[in-house]
Amino acid sequence: MSNKPFNSFELAQSQFDRMADRLGLDDPARELLRWPMRETQFLIPVRRDDGPVKIFRGFRVLHNDARGPGKGGVRFHPQETIDTIRALAMWMTWKCALMDIPLGGSHGGVVCDPHNLSLREQEQLCRGWVRQLSRDLGPRIDVPAPEIMTNAQYMLWMLDEFEAIQGERIPGFITGKPVGMGGSLGRLEAAGFGLVFVLREALKELGIPPEKTSASVQGFGNVGQFATRLFQQIGGKVVCVACWDQKEGTSYSYKKESGVDFQSLAGITDRFGGIDKKKAAALGYDVLPGSAWLEQDVDILIPAAIENQITMDNVKKIPPKVKIVAEGANGPMTSEAEAVMAGRNIFLIPDILANAGGVTCSYFEQVQSSMNYYWEKDEVLGKLDVKMTTAFHSVLELAKEKGLSTRDAAFYIAIARVVQACRDRGWI
Amino acid sequence: MAKRMDKSFSKSLAQFDRQFFTGREKFTLIGRGALGGKAHGLAVMQDILEQQLSGQFAPDIQVVIPTLTVITTDFFDFFMKDNRLYDIALSEAHDDLIAQAFQKAELPAPLVGDLRALISQVHTPLAVRSSSMLEDAMFEPFASVYATKMIPNNQWDADTRFRKLAEAVKYIYASTFFKDARNYMRATKHTTADEKMAVIIQEVVGARYGDRFYPHVSGVARSHNFYPLGHAKPGQGVVDLALGLGKSIVDDGVGWTFSPAYPQANPPYISIRDLLEQSQTSFWAINMGPPGEYNPIQETEYMLKFNLTDAERDGSLRFIASTYRPEDDKIVFGMAEPGPRIIDFAPLLKFDLIPLNSMLRALLKICEDKLERMVEIEFAMTLDERRGTPARFGFLQVRPMVVSEAKVDVSPAELVGGHVLVASESVLGNGILDDIQDIVYVKPEKFSPHQTQTIAGQLEELNQKLAASHVPYLLIGFGRWGSTDPLGGIPVNFGQICGAKAIVESTLPEMNFMLSQGTHFFHNITSFRVLYFSVPHWEKYMIDWPWLGRQRAVAETELVRHVKLPAPLKIKVDGTTSRGVICHA
Repeated sequence: MSNKPFNSFELAQSQFDRMADRLGLDDPARELLRWPMRETQFLIPVRRDDGPVKIFRGFRVLHNDARGPGKGGVRFHPQETIDTIRALAMWMTWKCALMDIPLGGSHGGVVCDPHNLSLREQEQLCRGWVRQLSRDLGPRIDVPAPEIMTNAQYMLWMLDEFEAIQGERIPGFITGKPVGMGGSLGRLEAAGFGLVFVLREALKELGIPPEKTSASVQGFGNVGQFATRLFQQIGGKVVCVACWDQKEGTSYSYKKESGVDFQSLAGITDRFGGIDKKKAAALGYDVLPGSAWLEQDVDILIPAAIENQITMDNVKKIPPKVKIVAEGANGPMTSEAEAVMAGRNIFLIPDILANAGGVTCSYFEQVQSSMNYYWEKDEVLGKLDVKMTTAFHSVLELAKEKGLSTRDAAFYIAIARVVQACRDRGWI
Repeated sequence: MAKRMDKSFSKSLAQFDRQFFTGREKFTLIGRGALGGKAHGLAVMQDILEQQLSGQFAPDIQVVIPTLTVITTDFFDFFMKDNRLYDIALSEAHDDLIAQAFQKAELPAPLVGDLRALISQVHTPLAVRSSSMLEDAMFEPFASVYATKMIPNNQWDADTRFRKLAEAVKYIYASTFFKDARNYMRATKHTTADEKMAVIIQEVVGARYGDRFYPHVSGVARSHNFYPLGHAKPGQGVVDLALGLGKSIVDDGVGWTFSPAYPQANPPYISIRDLLEQSQTSFWAINMGPPGEYNPIQETEYMLKFNLTDAERDGSLRFIASTYRPEDDKIVFGMAEPGPRIIDFAPLLKFDLIPLNSMLRALLKICEDKLERMVEIEFAMTLDERRGTPARFGFLQVRPMVVSEAKVDVSPAELVGGHVLVASESVLGNGILDDIQDIVYVKPEKFSPHQTQTIAGQLEELNQKLAASHVPYLLIGFGRWGSTDPLGGIPVNFGQICGAKAIVESTLPEMNFMLSQGTHFFHNITSFRVLYFSVPHWEKYMIDWPWLGRQRAVAETELVRHVKLPAPLKIKVDGTTSRGVICHA
């Protein structure tokens, strides 16, 4: 058991270092890519509804934009740190490169808990965040998107503020907008569906029919919900879903051996992915401790909440039946835990692949917004599936060819592409 | 039984690996549901064709099932449920409204990636066909009940190709609930709610000539012939060939008909001029040029009709046409001379340039043996103009023919007498009906070729009422039933008269009609065991119009009359002699 607090950025850097060695990168390349190219930290004053002004801390980090404008989420979270943002920005660079979309990586956030803010205060915070960053954002510079505890309404407030500053309509400024206001059909489902597209390919690779599998999901936000829905549509069964309970300040797992009913569960879930405990119990779900999701006797684990959820503290509780872990969240597993799972031959779909559906669809949204011409959902999801499936197979092929883990193969492909772009531009 | 076979086939066939033409398997599935009847038929024949036929006719003819993938019925279920389409689908809404609602709906997410991948690598025309579950469960043909959509698939960007494919799939789903299908279901005592649809996406066999894509030969071959001509016998079968897409045969009823036992015999004709008029003068092709009006809910959105001079310019008539020489009123084989061309397939049938007829005979036999019943097959062919490569024969469909087994004798003496309402020596079908008390007929004294469309509408209304209450009836009218030319007969589709268990087509002295002899609805008539009487006025047997006029009408318009008899008619048809009689009490 490690006593050192988990640091996402250290994890991201160690992943990069390992691949840099493998790729034989020279020092300038390592130095350029180990660190963000640009960081902005700032303060946002917001007058509370009851009078006093509260100062919030905000960030935006552009890790690398050699392959295209930065792209990354905006997270509103009380435990937000600059290192988490740096890690997420770096992973976004790799994710975009792995999916072969012409974007770089960035990320941002605000240290706050939106549950404790009124709608007006949330709006002021969103607008304040944009005002601080208006020179460093834009469709050809860096494009924000929703992430944990931010949503389409936030994106629209941010877009409105940016357009007011610029004096023109720029729908490509931000993604994750509401449909009908520059948003893309399929964007909501994209991250969860994308995960299931690659999970489906992994099942094919292992020769397991989806209808003979069960899964346990941590997190019931966008990714968890839509992954559950599509996984059930391809024949699988989700028996357990875990999520954060805001009222009680802890998490719970909700279990139904016969399989959770997506529709009814979604009906008792708040906009942050929190399931109503009492109503769930009334619907016949076993209410278990938050950690129980990991201990279910299932074939597939989908950590789709936050970082650092599978560690040396709990990795041994994963039952022997588990054959696949699909990382819906960014960095949900420590390197040490990953090594244990590799020893057990558990097939890993790494985060930069498994949850890349969101950013891929964000890219589609940006393209549509720039054209001001919007596609049907069939078209969006069809393209997404092809992108995800192609990326999965390139990772798998390289992993087999070079004897790498799937995570290393994904990083290998992504980093090689970014390094090449930096070289082509003459930066290194 | 058929259902069980379908499931086992679903498991044994490969899943689509996103390589349409380049994959190892040419017959793949998307999904884990059922295949539906049409795809099942092809799956049954796949290995057999390869083992028993391919080698036999190589190198002259390459026999293939064109590359295809089947979207199984589980996706139909998702599509219907997720988009909440059953309410409108099972309503009595107009076909266009149903089709529109289906177009607005979203295809299931696990399906669209495969379609996108398919379309990304394929730039040639595709046929999107129905393959329904009931068809398979009943092991009965649903010919022309559901839609088929041809798409050119030659747009430069994959997005457009994807959209067109998605529209076509949705259109096929919608056709499950179109009026014709609903009527058909009523007639077969099924409900549309029971139906599930698989969709076949298949390569189109053909060649491109500028803005046209079409097969050099398409055809329908049946192993049983209800109208044996000359020395031919019913069991020797019958083949229809046409230039271009098979729509000419299936929907327009135009083609070159011959018995596989006597491929050199021409179809019956009164004069050379008559033969020229009867034979094919235009053909259907997929439009590869600038698109016509955008209409995703129209089956023929990407199909166009061309005339023979276009085909001659394309150079595609070389192996299928002869020439009419007007100075001596003769047909000269081949195209050495200038003059009007006639599509008689002489180089293939009379000179056996390619052993097509032998192959068709072998193929019908193989299909009959496998399905253990009389069969109907559809195919399309390309012929290489330089003869450097074999002709490519695409096997498109096999379905069982429904033939009555009852032995009925009708002597010539029975055709005359006071109780005879209708008699004919040219009747399609076989069997006895003794439960029909209703007669719907077009009034001879009011009939005009210019009012056939009005008549069609009135007949449809009566048919709907009678079919809804499961009352079988005898239908009598003039000209070719199902004619596409309103001046040539009553332009109904089979759904509009599907409740009729016996049909009479007749002529009046002032008319110059050729009768269809059931060709327009040939398959529907045989499927439903409809007895089909041809009674031209120049033959010796007549319809007893005065008796009919004296019967009590339960419904009547200016043009059409519905009478209900106090006692059932006795209808007898002897399928071996084509003799039939309808007697009243």
